Amino acid sequence: MLGNLKGLLVTLSTMLRKPVTYQYPKEHKPIESRYMGFPVLMWDSQISEPYCTGCMVCVRYCPTQCMTAVMKDNPLHAEGVSKRRKIVDSFEINFGRCIVCGICVDVCNFDAIEMSHEHELSKYARNDNRSDLTRLLEMGRNYQEETGWEPKTNAKESEGEASS
Amino acid sequence: MSLIIDVGMRISLILGLLTGLSVVVLSLVWVERKFLGRIQMRMGPMVVGPYGLLQPVADAIKLVAKEDLLSPWVDRIVYWVAPLAVFIPSFMIWVTIPISRDIVIRNMDMGLFYIIAFSVLSIVGLVAAGWASSNKYAVLGGFRAAAQLISYEIPLIMAVLGVAMLAQSLNLQEIVNQQDTYVYALVQPLGLLIFFIAGLAEIGRTPFDIHPAESEVVGGPFVEYSGAHWSIFFLAEYINTFAIAALTVLLFLGGWLLPGLSGGAITTVGIFVFFAKTYLVILVIFWFRGTYPRLRIDQLMSFGWKMLVPLSFINIILTGCYMFYGWPAWLMSIISVTILVSVFWLVSKRMNNTKKEYTVHIYKPESSEVKNAG
Repeated sequence: MLGNLKGLLVTLSTMLRKPVTYQYPKEHKPIESRYMGFPVLMWDSQISEPYCTGCMVCVRYCPTQCMTAVMKDNPLHAEGVSKRRKIVDSFEINFGRCIVCGICVDVCNFDAIEMSHEHELSKYARNDNRSDLTRLLEMGRNYQEETGWEPKTNAKESEGEASS
Repeated sequence: MSLIIDVGMRISLILGLLTGLSVVVLSLVWVERKFLGRIQMRMGPMVVGPYGLLQPVADAIKLVAKEDLLSPWVDRIVYWVAPLAVFIPSFMIWVTIPISRDIVIRNMDMGLFYIIAFSVLSIVGLVAAGWASSNKYAVLGGFRAAAQLISYEIPLIMAVLGVAMLAQSLNLQEIVNQQDTYVYALVQPLGLLIFFIAGLAEIGRTPFDIHPAESEVVGGPFVEYSGAHWSIFFLAEYINTFAIAALTVLLFLGGWLLPGLSGGAITTVGIFVFFAKTYLVILVIFWFRGTYPRLRIDQLMSFGWKMLVPLSFINIILTGCYMFYGWPAWLMSIISVTILVSVFWLVSKRMNNTKKEYTVHIYKPESSEVKNAG
């Protein structure tokens, strides 16, 4: 019997608390900086070209075969602006298939692919989750701006020099 | 000519009442969803309109636009009449419920009797709906509704009778005017509690919603109904909820009266006072809904017959003594509260005792069977 009154008090006290709701499409929960979302391609803003050379190592290691890449000769290398002889021509990741395992990131020799904060899969058409090169780079630039991402290659190179 | 004007007046009054009640029902749906949301630390409807205010309108449009499915084994005539048999009594009650001094469609001297008589009629509709649906859940729900409503009608009427004895009238206007010096909730806290609980059972709100219980009889008498016909049941349920809240306010909480409010302003300000009080009672009903789980049917019956009926008779006898011997009002309220507290104490003591009767038996399987498995 006393429990009834206690129950009423419990609901009253929860009623006075603030709702924990985020009004989702309008209002997003803040993402942690180390959140691991879908892989996207990074943009080298010094030379203004993608880091990716289209070497297909990520494509070969991908357990779900959700990506494809095509390589081409780098026109900027011919001009002498860039050190990269080859550059990515087209790249596609099907986020509907991606399992966010992060193997592509571990395997990449150029720090070209990175786990971003992208995590929303809801689209109006089935194939809208297939992201092409421009969209991947755009997402990558957003990620770089958000987190102040820097390539690790320099550190790797210096480490390699020190060991050898 | 005067006849036409008269009839026109009446029709417009009834249409106005219907519109007003529909608006009230829409507001109740919104208030309920918001309030339950807040109890569960959610926000409730937020998308349709500012703060989700247009959500009930969207719901209503959806309900009316839905296909009205009909099972081929249904008893058609009874099936179509049943929603009306539930809705019309709940609507008719409002003819004599005043919302302020002299603001009432028809002021009846037997108003309370009329209300009680009409509110019982909705049982017929529920049983008919259950029977006509040719569905076992519907029949079961209809019978449950009948059992519940009939057994809780007695304490409801008895609690109302106590008020009628105090006011020496069945006229709702008169009863409210009698509460000029003190409201009857102070004199009869016991009666208020009995009326409120029995009223909750009468309208089938949550601790007593065993006839439309979704997890047991999947909606009870309303299983087969869909679309607009279902929405009529829904409308009737919310109108009944509002009626019970309004009756609680009129009979026990002083209606449109407020301390310090007097003179000519009472009629106009009284409307707001009445609605404010009624919505407060409604909020308490929703609060109960957000708190309590549903009673089992045997618990419901034993609570009705073993607790509420004897308590309501005690209430009547107490009121009779009060009237006959001319006790002071404070003595009456003290006795009423004492009975309330002692019953509360006795029941909680009994519940604590029954808890000790349970013993836990731990079953240990024979080890020989396990050996063979290896």
